[in-house]
Amino acid sequence: MPGTEVGGGIGWVAVVNLVIWTGLFLYLRRLHGKVRRLEEMEKKP
Amino acid sequence: MVSRRVSTWTAEAAAVFAKEWRCELRTRYALNTLALFTFTTLVVVSMSLGPIGISLAQGSGVLPVLLWLILLFASAAGLPRAFVHEEETQTATALRLAATPSALFCGKLAYGLTLVAALEALLTPLYLAAMSLAIASPTLLVAALAAGGYGLAAGSTLVAAIIAQARGKGTLFAVLSFPVFLPLLLLAVELTGKAVAGQPGGGVTLVQLVLYDASVTVASLMLFPAVWNP
Amino acid sequence: MESLKDTLAWLLWLWICAVVLGAFYYAPLAIGFIGQSSRILFFHVPMAWTAFVAFIAAGVSSLRYLFGGRDARHDRAAAAAVELGLVFGVLATISGALWARIMWGAYWNWDPRQTSIVIALVFYGAYLALRDAIDDGERRARLAAAYAVLGLVVTPFFFFVLPRITYSLHPESVVNTRFKVDMEPRMLQVLLAGSAGFTALFFWMLNLRSRLQARQEIAERRELERG
Repeated sequence: MPGTEVGGGIGWVAVVNLVIWTGLFLYLRRLHGKVRRLEEMEKKP
Repeated sequence: MVSRRVSTWTAEAAAVFAKEWRCELRTRYALNTLALFTFTTLVVVSMSLGPIGISLAQGSGVLPVLLWLILLFASAAGLPRAFVHEEETQTATALRLAATPSALFCGKLAYGLTLVAALEALLTPLYLAAMSLAIASPTLLVAALAAGGYGLAAGSTLVAAIIAQARGKGTLFAVLSFPVFLPLLLLAVELTGKAVAGQPGGGVTLVQLVLYDASVTVASLMLFPAVWNP
Repeated sequence: MESLKDTLAWLLWLWICAVVLGAFYYAPLAIGFIGQSSRILFFHVPMAWTAFVAFIAAGVSSLRYLFGGRDARHDRAAAAAVELGLVFGVLATISGALWARIMWGAYWNWDPRQTSIVIALVFYGAYLALRDAIDDGERRARLAAAYAVLGLVVTPFFFFVLPRITYSLHPESVVNTRFKVDMEPRMLQVLLAGSAGFTALFFWMLNLRSRLQARQEIAERRELERG
């Protein structure tokens, strides 16, 4: 890619990555909690 | 006992086949669609790419692709009806009670095969004549048409049975059959190109094409009972 | 039991974080790659692998649905696996295209692997279109499973055809000697750890998605019964 520096700093890319993955995990954990609650509710008539 | 079962199975399949053709000859829906579609596309291709429009070297590369595209879209226009009209006219339920699934499938497949064979018999000579395409290996071309046509008919029969029970049948058939037919078309185009240009290596491609046909047939016979019976 | 699952979830989070840090700070740069571009492979390859696992899982679930007693659980698992496989497949395609732009100068060039992933995406897109076109749950499960199995039967033929009509630019084929035989051990470690982590993530998401779908179906049924 002429004129573009591909070998620049990578620190911010790693940070963005960690943020994205942590966000996904928090979302999945919330979803997990929701599924458990719904399953509990179903057991009670 | 076994032979009687075999003979009733054959009779059922033959009855389905005969019924399909009786229905078809009454309305001539598929035949008219196929003939008109073939004629239109042939005129378009011939007028824009005919003997003068394209050089012989380019022709042997491009024309097999166009031939199979015409065959694909013509069969997509005509073949799905075999199952769609059963569901539309509500005859499917009676058929479910009356026929063994595998016999029904084979009857429908035989009908599709004759339709594709008729289409190929009509289209190919006209196409070759209109394009003044010389064939280096006619046997290989016939083998490509037979194996490719069989694959189109077999795949269409199962996909038609699937989409007949869904909404938006026409578009859905094209959407579902495209990925299934893709390897078949790639192989058939390759084989036809080799037949036209007389390149070696056609045998391997033909074997792979026949393998594709066999796999689709076996899978369809396995899956059809589940598709057909609730 | 549930606390064990919680611990596992946190362990997976730590694992993925370690993979991310490993991809950027532990693994060295690959020789012959422009700038830092080889680091995208630590995400691209595991994503492609996970998409593959997802489509296999969808095929297995479809077979189990059709020939293993028509259990609606298998149908939900197949549908969820296809959806997740499409997500991972699209991400693998995008990350691959970005990398291809840097290395090969073009986002897209119909390399056999690019061709296969496009065919897979089209096929499973068609699968979801079929599911959308059927209202009745039992019928949808039956027909979709049949279509998925038909797809499984047809796909191996691409392995015959594609190498003959397109030629590969992928590192595994082109720089085979360097990449396959003596790939830098630290790179290999991160790549394998990433694939394992993403696969675990996939199965967690698959489990959640199918369970959530089951709850929705039950809720809808109760609503109907109440009138």
